Amino acid sequence: MANFNIDAKKDMTYDAIVIGSGISGGWAAKELCENGLKTLVLERGRLVEHVKDYPTMMDDPWDTELRGSLTPELKEKHVVGMRSGFIGMDTEHFHANDQENPYTEIKPFMWVRAHQMGGRSILWGKQCYRFSDLDFEANAKDGYGVDWPIRYKDIAPWYTHVEKFAGISGEAMGLPHLPDSHFLPPMELNCVEKHVKSRIEKEFQGRHMIIGRVAHLTEPLNGRGVCQYRNRCSRGCPYGAYFSSNAVTLPAANATGNLTIRPYSIVQSIIYDEQKGKATGVRIIDSETSEVVEYYARIIFCNASTLSTTQILLNSVSDRFPNGLGNDSGELGHNLMDHTYRVGAMGIVDGFENEYYKGRRPNGIYIPRYVNLDEKSKTDKFVRGFGYQGSGGRAGWGAGSNIEDFGGDFKDSLMKPGPWEFFITGFAECLPYHENHVYLDKNNLDKWGQPTLAIDCEFKENEKAMNRQIRIDAKEMLERAGLKDIVDFDNEHEPGYGIHEMGTARMGRDPKTSVLNATNQVHSCKNVFVTDGACMTSSSCVNPSLTYMAITARAANHAVSELKKNNL
Amino acid sequence: MNRRNALRKTALMAGTAMAAPSLFSLLQSCKQQNRLDWKPLFLSEEQARFVSAFVDTILPRTDTPGALDVKTDIFLDLIFAKTYDAKGQEYVASEIDKFNADIKAGFGKVFADLGTDDKKAVLRKAEAETAKFNPKVWGTAVGKQEPVGFYRSLKSMALWGYFSSEEIGKNHLNYDPIPGEYRGCIPLSEVGNTWSL
Repeated sequence: MANFNIDAKKDMTYDAIVIGSGISGGWAAKELCENGLKTLVLERGRLVEHVKDYPTMMDDPWDTELRGSLTPELKEKHVVGMRSGFIGMDTEHFHANDQENPYTEIKPFMWVRAHQMGGRSILWGKQCYRFSDLDFEANAKDGYGVDWPIRYKDIAPWYTHVEKFAGISGEAMGLPHLPDSHFLPPMELNCVEKHVKSRIEKEFQGRHMIIGRVAHLTEPLNGRGVCQYRNRCSRGCPYGAYFSSNAVTLPAANATGNLTIRPYSIVQSIIYDEQKGKATGVRIIDSETSEVVEYYARIIFCNASTLSTTQILLNSVSDRFPNGLGNDSGELGHNLMDHTYRVGAMGIVDGFENEYYKGRRPNGIYIPRYVNLDEKSKTDKFVRGFGYQGSGGRAGWGAGSNIEDFGGDFKDSLMKPGPWEFFITGFAECLPYHENHVYLDKNNLDKWGQPTLAIDCEFKENEKAMNRQIRIDAKEMLERAGLKDIVDFDNEHEPGYGIHEMGTARMGRDPKTSVLNATNQVHSCKNVFVTDGACMTSSSCVNPSLTYMAITARAANHAVSELKKNNL
Repeated sequence: MNRRNALRKTALMAGTAMAAPSLFSLLQSCKQQNRLDWKPLFLSEEQARFVSAFVDTILPRTDTPGALDVKTDIFLDLIFAKTYDAKGQEYVASEIDKFNADIKAGFGKVFADLGTDDKKAVLRKAEAETAKFNPKVWGTAVGKQEPVGFYRSLKSMALWGYFSSEEIGKNHLNYDPIPGEYRGCIPLSEVGNTWSL
């Protein structure tokens, strides 16, 4: 991508502004640019050009002095992100500086951020599942939160639209509660996964174990290469085999000639014009020079990531919106959700000593939700449901730490693969609670003088009840699948750990109880769109990014059509 | 069990099984003492001798290289020097010193100067008495991890230093940086050793 106009100051006015360049921002940029809109993408971090800016993508462990370990200084720099267990020297440069970006944990909340072009789309887990009407109708049926203003039929064509371009591999199952995507060929299960699958499906009627549905190419697509099974995705993929903004949507946007990306642009607020009754642009702070600059556009897409988008809206105050742009309902900042995570079981599968696999598959297995689907699967212990992710594989040399042995034979035995291990861990839906919220903390300013965010969020009884069930069911499934040495676990963790923050500017039918309408427009300021995780009205139990993509493409195309009709 | 007591017990029990070291054997051990042929960044020379002897006992040379052949000791010193904060460094130094002091109380000499059988006896005892790592899922230990103690931490680091070295990773394990495909079920005989990456 050679056509960046970094010196965007020469042109302050665009057709559209997109705040953020992660998964949803990249999609907004692509759809708007392809519809002919001159689009400015504001990115608070640096540029990251596909392939060129992936410095660690080919490194073997021994290629770096400390073999992936972080220095104390870097651990301190990433003091929040370190809690995730996902930061090493190979990806450190794609994680935000937690020291420069403080927030307050009223209750523990791990907020993982990635401040560069592409955002967390470089680092994400890539699991892609469609929501179903079981999800879109959930709030209306059990009364938690407000009703989604859309149903599956509204978004289904947009799922297909984004899937065809992003490239999702998986197996069609025909399950009504986990609708099939437009799939590329599925990745393969290994011998032991196939074995466990057949046992679980035989022992438990109505439960399925499938290969994960993932945004990895298993066939070439639009010039991108297929997955080479290196499993070094989060360093950036030289083949462009997994979906990221950098590899997929931003190059497409750029190819139109309509894209401008301005890096180092921290959006301070959205500018609201009281006379016109709409937003006219955004005010940014250049993170390098601290210069304040204003950009103008007819529509503004907020894709800064769930909490950052809400932070910007809360900070966008005017006479009309003294409590934040679009906050007539008082719901802005509220109903924060995540998924519970890391409750499950693991064990050893006997046999298969002479079987192995080739390749490091960046994917695992998925057990779709099976509770509270219908009357037959209904439980009175909790509402909503959960799914499991996991995988099987042979133990490597790391298992030697626990083996009560040492010496020459011990060493040489570790050169051979160990026993087959298999684990599953649940992901549970989190209800939208009004009291799980964020607010601006004007007493704690960041280095640019901006109010920081305070996060007050916790899992409650429904989530805890689901976690208990996840643990019981996981153990039971592995037992009845014939595993041994089973360990069931609940690594009780704070919200944020799932890195699936959702809500805080929810969609809804009623402006009195929601922030956005059915096409993601701020109810009371219709040329501002929010299509990242902030828009979510409920959380389902499936990974949300695919839904952000579809919702964004849908809203962007709606915006274009409204612009054409002069409605914005 | 308290880690410190466990180690002390190890040394004392091993010590009682031996005759008290004679003056002669002490002199012998002094003579046998090898000076390090590398300069540690963090460890004292005595601590570095301990780490060298430790990794050599855990992973000695066989038909395949040993830990010393791939400089695991030098690598661990580098890791202590560059990735441990002051508190972590203090822990490592004091644990090595304690380990050596306990052994000296029983044997009259430090770990590096013990004969091979005594080294093995000491580590076998530590092996039996030290807590184990909980299994991990996605890089995080499941459940509540009890402190594993210095022996198992250092053993784990020795394995890491050894198996992540270029010599072992490329020439002894199965090195396949770009597999290009995933085949979920193949005969182990097609591969032989475990994948290195």
